[in-house]
Amino acid sequence: MSGLQTIVDKCQGMEIDRRKVVGIQTTRNEVARTSETPTFNPWRINLTMPASLRYNEARALMEQLDVLDRNTPQVVTFGNASCLSWIFRYQGSLATSQLNQMTVQSFIGNQLKLTNLPSINANRVMFEQNDLIQIGNYTFPFTSTTKVTRGTDSFITITTHRPNIITGVVNGAGITVGNACQFYMFCPNMPTYKLYPGGADYSAGGTLVGNALIEFSGEFSLYEWVATA
Amino acid sequence: MSQNIPQVQNTGAIKSAEFVKLTIFNEFSNSANVTTHTFSSAYRNETIDGAEYLALGGLLSVGSQNRDLRVTAGDTNISLSGVSGNNIQIVLDTKIRGSEVEVWRGFYDDNDILGDSYLRFTGVITNYTIQEERTDNNDNFIVTVSASSYKTVLSNRIAGRKTNEESWKVFDPLDTSMDNVYSIAGVQFDFGKEVTASSGGRGRGGGGGGGGGGGDQRRQEQR
Repeated sequence: MSGLQTIVDKCQGMEIDRRKVVGIQTTRNEVARTSETPTFNPWRINLTMPASLRYNEARALMEQLDVLDRNTPQVVTFGNASCLSWIFRYQGSLATSQLNQMTVQSFIGNQLKLTNLPSINANRVMFEQNDLIQIGNYTFPFTSTTKVTRGTDSFITITTHRPNIITGVVNGAGITVGNACQFYMFCPNMPTYKLYPGGADYSAGGTLVGNALIEFSGEFSLYEWVATA
Repeated sequence: MSQNIPQVQNTGAIKSAEFVKLTIFNEFSNSANVTTHTFSSAYRNETIDGAEYLALGGLLSVGSQNRDLRVTAGDTNISLSGVSGNNIQIVLDTKIRGSEVEVWRGFYDDNDILGDSYLRFTGVITNYTIQEERTDNNDNFIVTVSASSYKTVLSNRIAGRKTNEESWKVFDPLDTSMDNVYSIAGVQFDFGKEVTASSGGRGRGGGGGGGGGGGDQRRQEQR
């Protein structure tokens, strides 16, 4: 656990922004018309940190953030800390072994087809809306925009929240779902930190030593690093 | 000429991306020696007319283009990211002025799959700028090329040939029509006047000077 992962694990607020690039015009008679550019639609997650981190416990974190700066991506996940694992928890009904046997048949546009499906009832839910899906080792999660049941075909089709941005070969790759998915993020606004008196430290044999509380200059706006997708 | 675009008809929502094709002519005398750069604002590499357009290959924006009923001269700007350095190299190390630019718009369906594409702009690059913005710790390069439509290019073009031997033989080396132009240049010549021995001599055109004198006399008489 280091750097941005620590920020994810310790944040006190999280805002997810997946809005697309859209132009909207409203005509004189109030008819709205839209124009959208299909983009990589990167994940943008704004994390708010509490002002309660004690300096003596966070010096390693400070250094890690300074090294990352505003231009270095890092893999983060929401499955590490038990207090976070519920956020992207898998909502389908499949067991891990059943999920692991499935592979990608094709992924064109926003239509993801999975094959090697488990033999289960046709009405069993495989993916609920907002379930995360990661293709192979490509750390660019997609969400399922619809509820997907097993059906009777040899494959299922999932409409994802963004088109296939992966340039590598995905056919035949396995999948990862839910909070086990990984995000490849960087922090273009990397906040600075300020030290305030506080956080009394008596760890040195009961003797009070100087310490401080850390306050960041703003929230951490994580942005998905899709340049290597 | 109107263009029928079904993707924008009877709908309130469209999905589209810009595709830019830049053709650089490496040799003046050999139009086949070209280098082509294709890039787009699309999310993936797309193929249009056999050319693969790189997704987000540095394309930042495409300026507005005039759409008039009459043929009008319009310019547009294409901004490229200079972060990778490749786009700066394209501008500085190649003969980019005079390069041909095509801007296409491609339309996507609901599944984000590219359908038809339509040519929006064809022109020639007339200028470029490289801009570095450094504010505090933010350092960005932007390369912008300006393209003029062919209407502007044609308006500024001076075409034709001069009535001398050299210019005449550019099109046909065997054409001798203008070979004697240099020898009679600046000479007054009265066409139709009989050539006399006294007024003979190369360059005098059979008494051209005398003819002119007659004219002078007439003008004097009229006064």
